[in-house]
Amino acid sequence: MMTLLQNTLLVALVLTSFGMLVSGRLGVYIRIVALQGVMVGLLPLVAGHAVPTLHLVFVATAIIGLKGFVFPYLLSRALRESKTRREMNPFVGHLSSVFFGILALLGSFWMDSRLSLQSHSSSELAIPMAFTTILIGLFLIVTRRTALSQVIGFLVLENGIYAFGLAIVYEVPVLLELGVLMDVFVAVFVMGIAIYHINREFDHMDIDRLNTLRG
Amino acid sequence: MNFGWLLPILILMPGLLGVASLFVRSAQAVLRLCAIGTLGVAALSGAVALQTFRFVPLLAAGNWFMLDALSAYHLLVMMIVFSLSALYGITYFREEIAQGQFTIRHARRYGGLWFGSMSAMVLVLVSNNLGIMWVGIEATTLLTAFLICIHRTSGALEAMWKYLLMCSVGVAVAFMGTLLIAASAQQASLHGSDALLWTALRDAAHQLDPALLKAGFIFLVIGYGTKAGLAPMHNWLPDAHSQAPSPVSAVFSGFLLNAALYCILRYLPLVESATGNTGWGRGILVVFGILSILVAAGFIVAQHDVKRLLAYHSVEHLGIIALGIGIGGYGALAALFHIFNHSLCKSVSFFCAGTLGQTYGTHDMREMTHVIRVSPVWGSGLIVTLLALIGVAPFALFLSEFIILKSALNAGSYWAASLFMVGVGVVFVGALRHIISMAWEPLQTHIKARRPTIAEGMLVFGALATLLILGLWLPRPFQAILEQATRVLGGI
Repeated sequence: MMTLLQNTLLVALVLTSFGMLVSGRLGVYIRIVALQGVMVGLLPLVAGHAVPTLHLVFVATAIIGLKGFVFPYLLSRALRESKTRREMNPFVGHLSSVFFGILALLGSFWMDSRLSLQSHSSSELAIPMAFTTILIGLFLIVTRRTALSQVIGFLVLENGIYAFGLAIVYEVPVLLELGVLMDVFVAVFVMGIAIYHINREFDHMDIDRLNTLRG
Repeated sequence: MNFGWLLPILILMPGLLGVASLFVRSAQAVLRLCAIGTLGVAALSGAVALQTFRFVPLLAAGNWFMLDALSAYHLLVMMIVFSLSALYGITYFREEIAQGQFTIRHARRYGGLWFGSMSAMVLVLVSNNLGIMWVGIEATTLLTAFLICIHRTSGALEAMWKYLLMCSVGVAVAFMGTLLIAASAQQASLHGSDALLWTALRDAAHQLDPALLKAGFIFLVIGYGTKAGLAPMHNWLPDAHSQAPSPVSAVFSGFLLNAALYCILRYLPLVESATGNTGWGRGILVVFGILSILVAAGFIVAQHDVKRLLAYHSVEHLGIIALGIGIGGYGALAALFHIFNHSLCKSVSFFCAGTLGQTYGTHDMREMTHVIRVSPVWGSGLIVTLLALIGVAPFALFLSEFIILKSALNAGSYWAASLFMVGVGVVFVGALRHIISMAWEPLQTHIKARRPTIAEGMLVFGALATLLILGLWLPRPFQAILEQATRVLGGI
């Protein structure tokens, strides 16, 4: 039962990441990343342990609260401030992006079979799925033009790393987990403020046009 | 008596000072608080570091905090850079305050972020838990990001965005590396928080899973290397260094980069002893070091902006440090020595470049000519520190670079040694061209500089004298400190 739940969550994680590769609307990005936040928050509850301990429930609540609700709120506020609604012509088109996603998925399975990482979760999908999410997150950061979608790419990357850590590390101390979560929170907060100022200064948030400093 | 309890205080003290600076009434007073507070923290750090050098490593908070010779040495370097920069901040912002560009709102934000980032960097250095060390590095990224754009110009915002995003992604990659290291410890039956305690990992290094450890180390070098400005992950660095106010540039170049490199150094002894001292981990550092030197050399030749020139010098010198550590033995000792030399020299050259930039109203080296005549203190300071940076004898930087070269030859790495020579040679010729034109080319317009105060003169020439003396004579206690720190790295 647990394994089934866990596999469902993991597959959903990758599918939602694929959704971002297809879509070009920033509002959709934000909703997808909120959904992913809730999913990675649920992951520790279904990964391996029969009965969730208090510490797990606590961390899961914090993650769902932040990644599922606070971050999307901050991001949609940044979106409201700007005139940009769509990711216009990203550096790599949507079709090629999906193609990259498929390659990333295949590559992750191949890497998993080669590295033979010792997984602690009951699911064999955990490591390849986490790794695909990481790769898609990196891909989004590199190929998308607007500042907002880069932040979302960063969050996808974070979600992937979190799922990866869950799969390979037996137990992470609570304090450390909270420290990491707080850092990500501040990162999104700071990036949100930065987007706000970039919007005001340049009247757009197109990172491709922030190119005066070079050499 | 154990002085470990001082370590948490060392983290909290700058944090409290940061909060205090939000309540100060005038901009000038915030800068004074920055200077006095930094000197206070530096005094405490000095005392703690001396305890470490004389006795044993300090441990605190259930072994989550530790200060050994390596981190104590870095702490000293950090405090020197911060103290000098805080003192310089008082004179740098004076003109901007007079012109109303640096208001109390700017000053409070500056003070809060200044102490906040100091606290985060101390956290990096005193963490024995490698996860907390990561938290500290990420915190420095976030806190220093807004220091770059204290003035919200378009250039500063662009630089800040690049810095924020590249370093966050880099540091996220480093987190994957940290997870892999923790996973490698499971074979040694280290669980829970023990799997990330550096001391526990060091004691069990032979039982760690080498494959996972190697994979983790690659992630860590790329991740923390981004923050340390190692090529080819250095793209954010020249923008951030050139757009930030000069005291902040000095801190960036003088210690922020070293803090990230320090994290890589922490992992090096683990990887080396787990892989049977075959030099696998050191080899990676040699490659990144050489690459950084060569890439920086190319950009230095074609550079026109003086602060960007200094930023590429940082890439070069971090490369030299990585190379020295990679060679090991006396090369590692010289690399640690080079950390001090580079941080001191680079901070002062950013101070000089900053004030001259204010005097000339530009950072373009083609317009900043005849600097020594225009401003005897800052002009000659810039010229001499630049000469020291390109490795002119008898400054201390020449000595440490020379020892690194010699140990590369002794270790039989002729390829590394010759590429090092090529890179440093190109830098020498390329930068010398800029230096000569800045020093002697006649002025195009008439520029009148503010008369420097005695304190400013002491700041510049005191640092230069230190570099000169260390180049000629290395005091015995300083050498002992370097040897202790190198021993932590598993070198000599």
